[in-house]
Amino acid sequence: MGDLRPYLQYARLAFQRRAAYRLANWTGVAVNVFFLLVHAQVLIAFFRSRPLALGWSAQDAVLYFTASEALLMVIGIFPDYRFNLSERIRTGDVVSDLARPVTLFWRDVAERFGTAFYYLLARFPPVFAAGAVLYGVMPPLRLEACLFPVSLALAVAVSAALWYLVCSAAYFRQTANGELAALVFVNTLFGGVFVPIDFYPDWLRVISDLLPFRATLYTPVALFAGKLAGMELAVALAHQLFWFWVLAAAALAIEGRGLRRLATQGG
Amino acid sequence: MSGALGNALALWGRLALASTRSQMQYRTSFAISCLVMFGVMASDLVPVWALARFFGAVDGWTFAELALLYGMVETSWATVETTLRGFENFSVYLVQGDLDRILLRPRHVILQVAARDFDARKLSRIAQGLLVLVIACVVLGLDARALGWVALGVLGGMLCFAGIVMAGAAVNFWTLGEAQELQNILTYGGAAALTYPVSIYATWFRRAITFAVPLAFVNYFPALAALGRTEAAGWPAFMPWLSPFVCAGVLAFGFGFFTRGLRRYESTGS
Repeated sequence: MGDLRPYLQYARLAFQRRAAYRLANWTGVAVNVFFLLVHAQVLIAFFRSRPLALGWSAQDAVLYFTASEALLMVIGIFPDYRFNLSERIRTGDVVSDLARPVTLFWRDVAERFGTAFYYLLARFPPVFAAGAVLYGVMPPLRLEACLFPVSLALAVAVSAALWYLVCSAAYFRQTANGELAALVFVNTLFGGVFVPIDFYPDWLRVISDLLPFRATLYTPVALFAGKLAGMELAVALAHQLFWFWVLAAAALAIEGRGLRRLATQGG
Repeated sequence: MSGALGNALALWGRLALASTRSQMQYRTSFAISCLVMFGVMASDLVPVWALARFFGAVDGWTFAELALLYGMVETSWATVETTLRGFENFSVYLVQGDLDRILLRPRHVILQVAARDFDARKLSRIAQGLLVLVIACVVLGLDARALGWVALGVLGGMLCFAGIVMAGAAVNFWTLGEAQELQNILTYGGAAALTYPVSIYATWFRRAITFAVPLAFVNYFPALAALGRTEAAGWPAFMPWLSPFVCAGVLAFGFGFFTRGLRRYESTGS
């Protein structure tokens, strides 16, 4: 990894690139709030037949979903189809990256953190405030909440590593658009974007617990909603750390092989 | 007239084929994308299934009935998204000047915009919508009369969503492309909301999607009629009959709005 400064610069540039489109952020807020409205009402409707399920009340579920919707862009569940490694390889821009003394993987991680920081300031507050005003949700004050920033940072890192690995298909085939779309749905399904994975049937819950995708959304959001504590919380954080380590190792290994295989185009 | 329509459809087909050929350049990616569309269906339906399995019916609607709602709205929306794709990207054409080139050609603007950026991968989304719809109809054991209502709802949904994407594109004539994402609320957001019976929503929200933007006519009322529950749900028996007219009205509104916007269009010049 070497010198840190270029990576900080990449993070800063990623932040500024988002900050340049203010109106786009507000239309994004409107879309998030609409989905929040729909799914909060759906969750409330389901809980009408049973006020308390697995220790969750309707209010807990709505808090979970509000946090999920407010953190979607922070963690990066949806890909950026314009600015990503696969697109740089397809257009040939990757050549100018290779002239620089940086590891492409750590560059992507740095950019992901810059983007996450922007959305934490610009997207999270209004969407969460909408949930607080509309449904009166508030995160419970608990000591475990101190670990939320750690879990969120790990989630952003895992998300960056997943995106990098998916994009790295482009080293070998010039594009990775199909794989990018695939990551959205596995993240949505196994990360518990709509429904906390607690409510999945046992077999699906086990699969979700083992796969890396719950490390992106479920763990930080459930922690935020006060649904992770004690041993379960420790295991969840270890799961995030473990998967980041595995995915980062895989990413670096693929980068070495991919760069040898890479055939750039353009003139 | 039928000659002109046939000619228009043939042209749309040619334009769509040209788009498809360009996407097929990346063959593996194309194949993966088609498979992924089925995964999207799973990520939509599995959470609903998990909730319905855990809590039982929602407001009297079982999972099979929710799947019927999903299949109806998904089939209509995916069809519109596939065949009228250009309206969703319309802000780009306006900002980058592609619209000027479109206007120079001696064919109807709406036809040219519709077929632009046609995405063959989305055909598999129509297929998955239909698949869910067929399974739901079989599981629910719907008879011919009920199936008629389902078909009417799906066709009406196509008209309604077509009207919405045209109106959404037309807004760009005034906002110059800045608000494109807002139409996603009515299309993707609307489709998500319609996965559940309208009756579960708060009164103001229910009224908004029944009377302000008549999304409820896409699948809720036809499904009520198919299941024979219109009056049990507290609506007059004639409501489902209004569906085709209301949906056609939305299309007429979108078409008219787009045409008006086009008339005031003055290009960006350079």
